[in-house]
Amino acid sequence: MQRGEILGFLGPNGAGKSTTMRLLLDLIRPTAGSATVLGRDAHDGSVEIRRRVGFLPGDLALYPKLTGAAMLDYLADLRGGVDRRVRDQLAERFDAQLHRPIHELSTGNRQKLGLIQAFMHEPELLILDEPIAGLDPLVQRSFHALLLEVTAQGRTVFLSSHTLSEVEHVADRVAIVRRGRLVVVDSLENLRAIAIQRLEIDFAGAAPPAQDLLRLPGVREATVEASHLTVAFEGSADTLVKALAAYDVRAIRTPDDDLEEIFLRYYREREDG
Amino acid sequence: MLPTLRIAVRLRLVTTLATTMAMILVILMVGALFPSVGDSIGRLDVPKGVAELLGGADYGSLTGWMRSEIGAVYGPLVIAAVAIIAAVGSTAGEEEEGILALELAHPITRSRLILAKAAAVLAAVLTIALGTFLGLLAGVAVGGGGVAASNLAALSLHLALFGCAIGALALALAAATGRRTLASGGAAGFAVLAFLINGFAPLVHGLTWLKYVSPFYYYTGNDPIGYGIDIGHLAVLAVASIVLTAIAVVGLGRRDLRK
Repeated sequence: MQRGEILGFLGPNGAGKSTTMRLLLDLIRPTAGSATVLGRDAHDGSVEIRRRVGFLPGDLALYPKLTGAAMLDYLADLRGGVDRRVRDQLAERFDAQLHRPIHELSTGNRQKLGLIQAFMHEPELLILDEPIAGLDPLVQRSFHALLLEVTAQGRTVFLSSHTLSEVEHVADRVAIVRRGRLVVVDSLENLRAIAIQRLEIDFAGAAPPAQDLLRLPGVREATVEASHLTVAFEGSADTLVKALAAYDVRAIRTPDDDLEEIFLRYYREREDG
Repeated sequence: MLPTLRIAVRLRLVTTLATTMAMILVILMVGALFPSVGDSIGRLDVPKGVAELLGGADYGSLTGWMRSEIGAVYGPLVIAAVAIIAAVGSTAGEEEEGILALELAHPITRSRLILAKAAAVLAAVLTIALGTFLGLLAGVAVGGGGVAASNLAALSLHLALFGCAIGALALALAAATGRRTLASGGAAGFAVLAFLINGFAPLVHGLTWLKYVSPFYYYTGNDPIGYGIDIGHLAVLAVASIVLTAIAVVGLGRRDLRK
């Protein structure tokens, strides 16, 4: 990872996202190989790494009897104290309920406490496992804003997700993991350039026959239902658009799933071989 | 380490204090009962094995009454239960819930964390033992007196170290495996087995030596309420507690956290 970037960590369930993150924090140890975090070995330098890292576990658990404030006080004490103003600002930003017992809080409100504890000591590196789970859209938005502020200060974010749209909106680069192996690490720009694009087109009259379109270079799929065409293609859209120009095109839509396509493509390759 | 100890004590404070109060009240009632039943029961005519299990079953004196009613079963039962629940809950229990992983994502070593949790178990055990001592003082007073306070303190101290040993065993099992059910079942099972071994082993020819593996032997073997503390026996329980706590530290240190 590069300092100051947001790296999105994607992969199907069970691919090894959480395992990787827990390994970086020395919660589990590698059977072979090693990991380096902030220049230190993940095992030997673990305490120093954990001092400089903020972690949000995927299945966050807190003491149900404590209030949010007492829980955060405890976690702050484990770090030898944090700047109270930072904590309070985070609580305000997320509209967190600090004074109710944790067992009374909804999943989303517990998740807010998880975010506060990960950010409150202003760590150099944030490792966030499924951070937006359970957050409402407004809180998601302020979380995204926080991520951008954090990276603007030169701090680094490593976040996993299966909500692809989340990564798409904030990540500078994405890493896709499949069956414990990293299959690609690249910028979203580059991934989009190689992505399969998908178009949905409505025609005033008949749609062009699917088999004609499938003969065009780059076209991978074409499905026609009455006057509606769905087509998926790689690379330039030029020949496809020119072929469609002979027909009476009424509407063109692109389903908002660029990254989904990238993700599924890497995922499917597993099944192919 | 201190914050973890503080929070672990705080999370069990109400339970520990309630158990301690219950202990005091029960002993007080047992003491109050003695003047009316002590003379009529006297020495129960029960098989020797059962009498051994009941701490001699000598109900004719207040010392024997307290030895059997509190020292033999009730005291160790309560303190073992408190120690096992506290030790397993704060380690394997929190690991299964996922809280341990969050704590260990903070700059604290695993050994410090487990020692802090062990110290909280110790605090709970000492509180119960103190309650036992206060209860015995009050119970003996209402039962007619005549038992030296130093002997009551001796029983309570032996009880405390017995609780430590059982708690440390539970801690070692919990830290080494991360499994709540296995650890509490294993420690409780051992405690029951140790109770039976201590009662029956001396009666079986050739198995007498078996009593030396039972913490009950070091707890009551030389009758602290009758004869005061036995430094050697206390030392055995203390060393066992320390060794088992060290095993807990090593056990957690080398393992992947399950959740």
